Parts: sequence; C-alpha cells; structure tokens
Amino acid sequence: MNRSAPRSIDQYLRQLREELGGADSALIQDALYDAEEYLRAEVAAHPDKSESDVLELIASTYGAPDEVATAYRDTEVKVKAAMATPRKEPHTAAGRFFGVFLDPRAYTSLFFMFLALATGIIYFVLAVTGLSLSVGLSVLIIGVPFFLMFMAVCRVVSLAEGRLIEAMTGARMPRRPVYQGAARGFWARTGEMLKDRRTWTTIAYFLSMLPIGIVYFVLAVAGLSISLTLIALPITVVLSQAGWFGMSASEFFGTAQPEWIFNTGFAIPILGVAGLLLLTSLMHLARGIGRLHAMYAKSMLVARVASGPVETEESAAALVAH
Amino acid sequence: MDDSNERKFQKELNGGLVGLVLLAVLAESTEDLYGYEIAKRLASANDGTSIFKEGTIYPVLRALSAGNLLTSRIVPSYSGPPRRYYRITEQGRSVLAEWKQIWAGTRDFVDRFTETEQSDIGHSS
Repeated sequence: MNRSAPRSIDQYLRQLREELGGADSALIQDALYDAEEYLRAEVAAHPDKSESDVLELIASTYGAPDEVATAYRDTEVKVKAAMATPRKEPHTAAGRFFGVFLDPRAYTSLFFMFLALATGIIYFVLAVTGLSLSVGLSVLIIGVPFFLMFMAVCRVVSLAEGRLIEAMTGARMPRRPVYQGAARGFWARTGEMLKDRRTWTTIAYFLSMLPIGIVYFVLAVAGLSISLTLIALPITVVLSQAGWFGMSASEFFGTAQPEWIFNTGFAIPILGVAGLLLLTSLMHLARGIGRLHAMYAKSMLVARVASGPVETEESAAALVAH
Repeated sequence: MDDSNERKFQKELNGGLVGLVLLAVLAESTEDLYGYEIAKRLASANDGTSIFKEGTIYPVLRALSAGNLLTSRIVPSYSGPPRRYYRITEQGRSVLAEWKQIWAGTRDFVDRFTETEQSDIGHSS
C-alpha cells in the first residue's frame, strides 16, 4: 500500500487501525494497545530525539502498520484453529437437537444466565450511583475527578464483563483496555469522555443488565425446575410403585383433569418425555442467548473501529498535509 | 526483487521460531519481562537489529499466554499504557524443552544439506 510513513504515534495507530479494517473489533483494540505500549516506550527511551525521528525508524524495528496488521491476523487465525476442539457435527435432526448436551458452551451460557442477575444488580447500582453522584457533585470542584474515577471503574468493569462473556460464550472480547492517551488535564479528559460514544453505551449496558439479568435468571430457574420436575416424575412413580416410599400416581395428580389421563397413569411417560424435550430446548435457548448477548455486549462495550483514541487536530492536519 | 524474496523466506522461517525464542528468553530471565523489553533484548543480541519485526512478538506473546505457557500481570507505566509483564510457567518450560529438541533436530537435518552441499556435488559428479 502506497502511503506516507507515519510521523507521529497518533498517525501510526490510525494507519494500523485502517490496515486492520474488517478484523474483529476486539482484536483491533488489542493490537492498538500493544502498538501504543511499544511506541510510547520507544519514544520515552530516546529523550534526545523527537517523536517524528523515532517514528521514522519504527518500520525497521516494530514494523510498518501493514506488516503488524498481517502478523495479528495470522496469529489470531492460528491460535483460534489450535485452541478449538474439533467436534463432530451430528447429521440427523435428532442428533443435532440432543447434541446440545455435548456442547460445553450451552452449560456455560446457562450458568451465565444465572450469574446475570447478580452481575446485573452490581452494574446497575454502580451506574446509578456513579451517574447520580457525578451529576450531583458537578456543581462542586470534586465533581470532575469523581466523574473520571467513575469512568475508570466503568472501563475496568466492562473489561471484566468482556472476559466473563468470552469465558462463557467463546466470543472474542478485548483482552486489553482502551488506552485514553497521556494525561492532558482534567478538563480535556472529561470533555473527551463526555464526547466518546462508548462512555454512554457502556453505562447504558450496565443499566440494561438489571432487567436483562432478571429475565435470564427467571428463564433459567423456571426452565430448569419445570423440566427437571417432569423428568423426575416417572422415576419417582416407578420407585414408589416398587415400594421405596408410599405414594401412588393418584396422589401426584389428586384432582388433576382430565381424570382418564392422570388417574390411569397414562400421562406419566408423556410428561417425562416432555420434560426431556423442555430441558433440551432450554439448553438450546441458553446457547442462543449466550451468542446474542455476546453480540450485544460487543456492540455496547467495545470501541467501534471508527472511534478509538481521539486524534488531535494537529495530527489530523499533518495527515492532510502529506 | 531479490530483497523481497529474502524477506519472504525469512518470514516463513520465523513462523514457529518466534514462539521458541520468546519462551527461551523468558526461561533464561530471572525477572518478569514486558513486550518492549523482550524486543530490545532480542535486538541487542543481534547487534541492534532484530531478525523479526518487533511488532510480531506481541500477538505471539498473547497466544503463548492463552495456551498457559506464560502467565502475566499488569503494571502501570509512566510512559504509556500499563505494561503486561510475562513469566514462563512450568508447562511452558516443559514445552520449551520439547521445542528445543525439535529445533536441534531440524537444524542438524538442514545443516547436513546446506553445509556440505559443495563437497557432496563434488563426490557425485
């Protein structure tokens, strides 16, 4: 690709982001973070040289943006291929339907549905407390540092939520936080954060996690208890008939209607099968919810390719001049 | 033209070697190292210029870490974003021992052809 060599860290990162265009947004965030760590360390290691002098040599040491982008894409593909356990896809419809029990993602997603209530409450409290205190304190001088601290906590929590979601659903989420650039004073940073779309989507995600968490939790608890009860029913009946404990089918369905189904015991195997089908459906539902939720979290918590660190006007002007 | 051929060959060779070298560097080091430091160690071992682009070691470090061959911790830094310091794990050491053997075997095998090429041709003709 023919383009001018980057002359500043901002330009380098912008070119790297362009080269990685189309790649996973989480991968881009990691690559930018690594590059920034290296470039800033390199500039700091040469206090006698200017930033553009250091950047001039970067293509021969760290690598040009396109080389680095290729390295990230290649490594990601290799690692993904090596880490993925090869799984035989069942061919029959029944095999595909019940095959969900062999998928660890279904179990972890179901667990995530239980956990979502707890994390949802924590996120909701964090967001409501942080927002209301920030607004309330904004008339005082400590309002700004408090808002910055609140945002820093939000960033850490959103990274942790990303790691949790990756562990539960297998979706690639960032492994590094977004670096906000060197300290430029309270006002500049506060202004940037207020302008950053991701700030607001992160808070919206935290707020939305309470209702979402409640729904997930209810679905998981209700689905599991109903289906497991139904599955346990025939076993219990057989055991009680064998005299292990004193209960008869009529005691299960004392007043159930219609009588001919329940009082003859006709319903018992049907209900057992229904429980099994319900449990399998629940596992499918959990896996689907896990995937959907990962997409939702990614759109809310991970910076879009177009955003990212805010470019200074100086570097934008320099890029136009080239 | 020649230059790009050379670079392509070097790149293909580097594929698996970067991981081996990174593990070896971390195994020898008595302290935890972060990406930039490792890059500079590699460069200084080769008279200031690294054989591979230093940007390529970061994704490999992350891959090794994901494979439990390395552990890492984050330390804040004044010059830029917080740094991730890496340390080799026990599993990493045993993998390194295996990889070293494979590398020694491969190197000897390749040497057998490239080192004695001239004399072999002499014998066969």
